[in-house]
Amino acid sequence: MATAGIQLHSACRVRREGFGLLFYDSRGPRLLFAATGDLLPEDYFETARTRDELPEGLSDGQKMSLMRFVNQLLEKGFLREQ
Amino acid sequence: MSNRYVELGMRSPVNLTWEVSLACNLRCSHCLSSSGAPAAHELTTAEALNLVEQLHEARVFQVNFGGGEPFMRPDFEEILAACHNRGIMTCISTNGTLLDAGRVERLGGNRLVAIQVSMDGARRETCDAIRGAGVFAAATEAVKLLAATRIPTSINTVLTARNAGEIPAMHAMARSLGVSLRVSRFRPSGRGADNWEMLRPSPAQLLDFSDWLATSGDVRTGDSFFSLTSQERQGLGLNLCGAAKLTCCVGPTGTMYPCAFLQTDRFRAGSLREQSFREIWDGSPIYESFRSLRIHSCEECRRFDQCHGGCPAVAWHLKNDINSGDPECLERCVTSIADEYRAEAA
Repeated sequence: MATAGIQLHSACRVRREGFGLLFYDSRGPRLLFAATGDLLPEDYFETARTRDELPEGLSDGQKMSLMRFVNQLLEKGFLREQ
Repeated sequence: MSNRYVELGMRSPVNLTWEVSLACNLRCSHCLSSSGAPAAHELTTAEALNLVEQLHEARVFQVNFGGGEPFMRPDFEEILAACHNRGIMTCISTNGTLLDAGRVERLGGNRLVAIQVSMDGARRETCDAIRGAGVFAAATEAVKLLAATRIPTSINTVLTARNAGEIPAMHAMARSLGVSLRVSRFRPSGRGADNWEMLRPSPAQLLDFSDWLATSGDVRTGDSFFSLTSQERQGLGLNLCGAAKLTCCVGPTGTMYPCAFLQTDRFRAGSLREQSFREIWDGSPIYESFRSLRIHSCEECRRFDQCHGGCPAVAWHLKNDINSGDPECLERCVTSIADEYRAEAA
């Protein structure tokens, strides 16, 4: 059975900036300035991942923050669940 | 909140305006770039495709194509396809007269394109007085063709003294055609400068439009870097000029400027024939001057947090000083009308 995954919406783009990640949604257009620092690479959401899959080496606090962030991206439509 | 991140400096523009040619089959009286004949030595196809590669490497999200009329370039669809092949989103500003069913079908095959068709009145007489005889009918046909596709389409209107009273009717017309309405500010650039006094909206018209816009939630405005509704702008937390921070302009010969309304030698940031896109974006003294621009003369204004001094291009064209604050801002409209009342009462 296929596992449900999350991925960047096809109408969205993301790139690294000094503060973290900048998300762009052409449907608005909308921007999301995410102060993620170095926690996530810019291509992180370009492949399908499970909701709780995060880069290795993070503290528990960082993991919690990133999981909240992923949920926020889903709610705002920057990520889509497959 | 978002302004803070922008002021830290962006790695690349979010979007840019690329005026691919000065060639145009129309002679609109408000044209910001005095389009007509192509510019001497416009970018070749190879140079244009090289720029697309550079924009891809810079991770520019969107290119807004304008001109001139972009479809006057025989290779325009090739440039467009190169953008799409690299995942760059595009928006084309066109007068609509060169859009036929075949071209619209080709464009509709791609999900990365949006189109703005320029129209300047809800009535044929109003629109054609600015854009030329027969343009209202041709543009309307183009909008109908586009509305039948999945291409996000809008009618783009420049607010002038001539059409200010027709904006609500244009909104209704756009809705009836199944597209959205975007209203852009008239700026005294190009032929717009020549016809400024004839076409500039009065302070009362600008205030009326502002009030109407506040109650017309789905109408977008073409501001310095984005098309946004007033609600979206508030939600984004961005209320500053985006020139050289979030956006920039590439002219037909590959010269870069802060924005489309400042395509003069004074604001030449660099040439893509002499430097790379990255070198100009990172190193241009002109861009640096815009990034550090602070309109101190406006800081005491009660609306400062909503505009941060407004449009430097209008300040330049009317006052010859980008530091002087936007002479056509809403606060000055209110003051101007109050002065008129006082003068009449005296």
